[in-house]
Amino acid sequence: MLQLDNIRAGYKGTEALHGVSMWVDAGTIVSVVGSNGAGKSTTVNTISRLVTTYGGRITFEGRDITGLGPAEVVDMGIIQVPEGRQLFGPLTVAENLRLGFHRQRRVKNREAAFRDKLDYIYDLFPRLKERAGQRAITLSGGEQQMVAIGRALMAEPRLLLLDEPSLGLAPLIVEKIFDVLSGLRAQGLTMLLVEQHADEALALADYGFVLSVGKVTVHGPGVELRSNAAVTSSYLGHAGAA
Amino acid sequence: MDKFSVLLFSGLTNGSVYGLVGLSLSLIYGANRVINFAQGEFVMIGTMSAILFMATYNLSLPVALVLTLGVVLAMALALEFAVYLPLRRRGAPPLTIMIGTMAFAITTMGLALLVWGPNQLSVPNILPMEPMTVGPLITNWQQLAIIGAFVAFLGLTWFILYRTSFGLAIRATGVDPKVALLMGIRSDRIVRFAFLFSATVSGLAGVLIGPLLGGQISIGVALTVKGFMAAILGGLGSPFAAAAGGLAIGVAEAMIAGYGNSLYAEPIIFLIILMILFVRPYGLLGDFEAARR
Ligand SMILES: Nc1ncnc2c1ncn2[C@@H]1O[C@H](COP(=O)(O)OP(=O)(O)OP(=O)(O)O)[C@@H](O)[C@H]1O
Ligand SMILES: [Mg+2]
Repeated sequence: MLQLDNIRAGYKGTEALHGVSMWVDAGTIVSVVGSNGAGKSTTVNTISRLVTTYGGRITFEGRDITGLGPAEVVDMGIIQVPEGRQLFGPLTVAENLRLGFHRQRRVKNREAAFRDKLDYIYDLFPRLKERAGQRAITLSGGEQQMVAIGRALMAEPRLLLLDEPSLGLAPLIVEKIFDVLSGLRAQGLTMLLVEQHADEALALADYGFVLSVGKVTVHGPGVELRSNAAVTSSYLGHAGAA
Repeated sequence: MDKFSVLLFSGLTNGSVYGLVGLSLSLIYGANRVINFAQGEFVMIGTMSAILFMATYNLSLPVALVLTLGVVLAMALALEFAVYLPLRRRGAPPLTIMIGTMAFAITTMGLALLVWGPNQLSVPNILPMEPMTVGPLITNWQQLAIIGAFVAFLGLTWFILYRTSFGLAIRATGVDPKVALLMGIRSDRIVRFAFLFSATVSGLAGVLIGPLLGGQISIGVALTVKGFMAAILGGLGSPFAAAAGGLAIGVAEAMIAGYGNSLYAEPIIFLIILMILFVRPYGLLGDFEAARR
């Protein structure tokens, strides 16, 4: 469904990804793990077309998207849950969710479709319904992550990119978030899941890529990577303990 | 009481125009973090176009209004395509773009000088200017029309921002343009809307205030400065706070000029604004707006 071929990308002349190749098959969860500064967020933002590419090619459902802009890939259904939530803090929970629906602005019976989607999100995260009128910035970290995921789901993603959804959250909340993700997988949603805390991510993932200083060093089925001694010691050991 | 009433209305009238310029500045700032130093020139071109179409060419009011609107909208597109977009494409920071808008303002004045010359021209009034009494107050139709336009544009802005999906997209872009992009919101369209809407607001304000200010190509600069002060005094983050700031400046200016000395009105007002900003650095309504949004 998504394919990165030998991607070189970075910021103002400094290259952060040095020829990264990965792929995500439809209906699977692919996890990208690696320590701080490995280039995980850069990878996600390159797919979202926020980061300049210097070489290589990104294709989505057979179409070359390397030349597209961020809003255009959103319209195609590539939706990101950014690192650190990145909610619209002064806006309410309901408004944040409505902004996620922006991609659907041209569907028929827009208001009815919006209501349906909203009900679906509130089913998934009942807490958000109680908080609907509250400004996003006043929520707890866990609730904010629910809004961030809910906001992305409002767009009806074809491919969901999640950048460290567990960042800074208590273990119990992390578990809850991962439960939701496996529920979404059961519904057939394709996901690219970036995690520094790799153990849970690889357990959930069908396939995984280990990123280190802008390069893919190891890749394979999630369970294999998880039991791979080299991976565990060199990349996940300290990260998992952090 | 009569003097007070006359001063109050003249203050509210000028203040409405400052407020509409402030509202325009705030809308554009929200979309792209740029202060448009040419905003006052849109008022000036509104005034001067009214002279051109109504006095020079003797066209009927509706035709003149449509043509004036066409002129200020074309001017907004010129600002966007000749200044804003080329600079933005080259990665210019907002400060550089602000200098660009200043260059645009000065160029606009230069062109206006060629068309209208340096002298003050009389502006045809659309509505009767004879004093009339409303209860204990003394005003005239022209003043009421300006205050009415102020209220109407505030209402329209509120409706767009808080009652439409597009308005929500505008507010989201104001909070964080990059995350707005992740929602698929095209910030360039928001910026274009802000330029065009602000041009409409300021241009029509120019048509209405012309008869009171007099038609002179130099009026734009002072309006930009006062609109900017209005926005800072009220709170740049909210178009409504900026508009309220404009009213406050207009009324204060009229009162100080009327009961004191008109020569000192501006320095005194700017001193007062400075004092207020020492106490409330985000503007009078800044925090309030931030908390309410
Ligand atoms: N906006 C930026 N400008 C310049 N360099 C950047 C920028 N963002 C990231 N980098 C650099 O790119 C490299 C990869 O960073 P990236 O954020 O992708 O890492 P990451 O794997 O997501 O790390 P983390 O686990 O800390 O989120 C780093 O060397 C970083 O310094
Ligand atoms: Mg990161």
